[in-house]
Amino acid sequence: MSIPNLAIIGDRINPGFKATRTMIEQRDFKGIQDLAKRQVQTGAIYLDVTIGPKGYEDYGLLSEVIQSIQAAVDTPLCFDYPHKNVLEACLKTYDPAKAGGRRPLINSLAETRWEIMDLMDIQPFNVILMASERLDEGAAKPNKRCEDVHKTAKRSAERLVKEHGLELNDIYIDVTVSTLVSDTEGLVRMALDAIESIGLDPDLKGIHIVGGLTNIGNMLPPVEFDGMKLRHVMESAFLTVAVPYGFDTVLGTPWNEFRMLPEDHVVLQTFREVIDLKGLDAMRRLRKLWANK
Amino acid sequence: MSEQQQKLIDLIADMNEEEAIKLANSMLDSGYDPMKLLEHCRAGMDVVGKRFESGEYFLPELMLAGEMLTEISKKAKPLIQESQTGGAASTKGTVIIGTVHGDLHDIGKNIVTFMLDINGYKVIDLGIDVPVDTFIDSIKEHKPSVVGLSGFLTLAFDSMKETIEAIKAAGLRDDIKIMIGGGQVDDTIRDYTGADAFGLNAMSAVSLCSGWIKAAA
Repeated sequence: MSIPNLAIIGDRINPGFKATRTMIEQRDFKGIQDLAKRQVQTGAIYLDVTIGPKGYEDYGLLSEVIQSIQAAVDTPLCFDYPHKNVLEACLKTYDPAKAGGRRPLINSLAETRWEIMDLMDIQPFNVILMASERLDEGAAKPNKRCEDVHKTAKRSAERLVKEHGLELNDIYIDVTVSTLVSDTEGLVRMALDAIESIGLDPDLKGIHIVGGLTNIGNMLPPVEFDGMKLRHVMESAFLTVAVPYGFDTVLGTPWNEFRMLPEDHVVLQTFREVIDLKGLDAMRRLRKLWANK
Repeated sequence: MSEQQQKLIDLIADMNEEEAIKLANSMLDSGYDPMKLLEHCRAGMDVVGKRFESGEYFLPELMLAGEMLTEISKKAKPLIQESQTGGAASTKGTVIIGTVHGDLHDIGKNIVTFMLDINGYKVIDLGIDVPVDTFIDSIKEHKPSVVGLSGFLTLAFDSMKETIEAIKAAGLRDDIKIMIGGGQVDDTIRDYTGADAFGLNAMSAVSLCSGWIKAAA
């Protein structure tokens, strides 16, 4: 970790990682505990927890996973399900006393699934708020403009503070970072604009801005720059632009190397140019990174 | 194969966009059979697809090659309609696609739609957050060979399962193949949802459709 003030929510306890999937399938709680410890040792402030779709059917297994993690580390957990019922099982299991009294985090709340907030009756929690969709006259709509993301974030944050007693620094706005290689609509640019405008909003001072970085480098070629895989360098390029705007928390792997890139770095320059292009021109520009390599 | 034909195929395969379109246009202008020309474009696209599968090309190359095909088709298709009396616009088969209810993501779905379209399939795109009943009605109306369910969020897996169960309950399951894709799909998710196959990228959607539709023909 070489970016000051950038916090990490460790994302490894997720069956999307093959090794973790095997641990979950084989009920290898020792393996999961080791994974939890390794993430804490490398700086995670929360540990994200999901056992995949199994969690919808097997609350027992989900509870056992949570208990075994809490037996190994005192870092608070982040429950990665968008469903009230599953989150209810998680919150009934989580013991704040084992995390130094710290609240768990919910990943994630959205305007379209506010019923999750009923669960505050079980125990108080902090929230990741997905700002990439909104409720518009009862219907779910995707937010594809910066103003809509900002407005949704602000409306929801106000509601969380006024109606549910949260403080702004209990709230993490997830701006949804898109995959660069398929971004023909300028969504990465939009996310950066949203981070900037939320970061500048005096009414939202203290709120956190979070995002998963796996998407941004998804499906990029396996070429390397300075001995680092392009996908990881691209994550750093994103952070180099986003952190000064107020992006302060990564949902990611704590032992990946995140760093601020120098302004003349070819990947950062490409990133800056690509996000200002739309449609296939963005693809043409991006492709230059490896087509001439 | 003439030198000109091979050159067109190579230009497309090697991502020489401007030159490929220029050559195609000049061939059409000098009276080259537009049907044949589109066949060469498909051949070029096949090379691109193979390079994608072997890890030499990536998503941008697929999309740029698709764009070349679209550009060339724009000029070639009206010429085909002029010269022929129907039957020319035959498709390989119909595919219905949509992002399942509860999920609003559409980028992956749009790429799959685009790739299927340029590969000769008739694609009916139902959009995002598609209710189960809309899938059922559309299947009844269009009688597709394949239905593609897309979703990026983990909650989409439940919607996929629900949609497939409803298709089964409506008695339509046996007539179609169902593929899923979008987020972290794998064989466990495929099994959970009851789909026939899963795809990790747009090319695998094309391969799945071509395998199924060939097998059925």
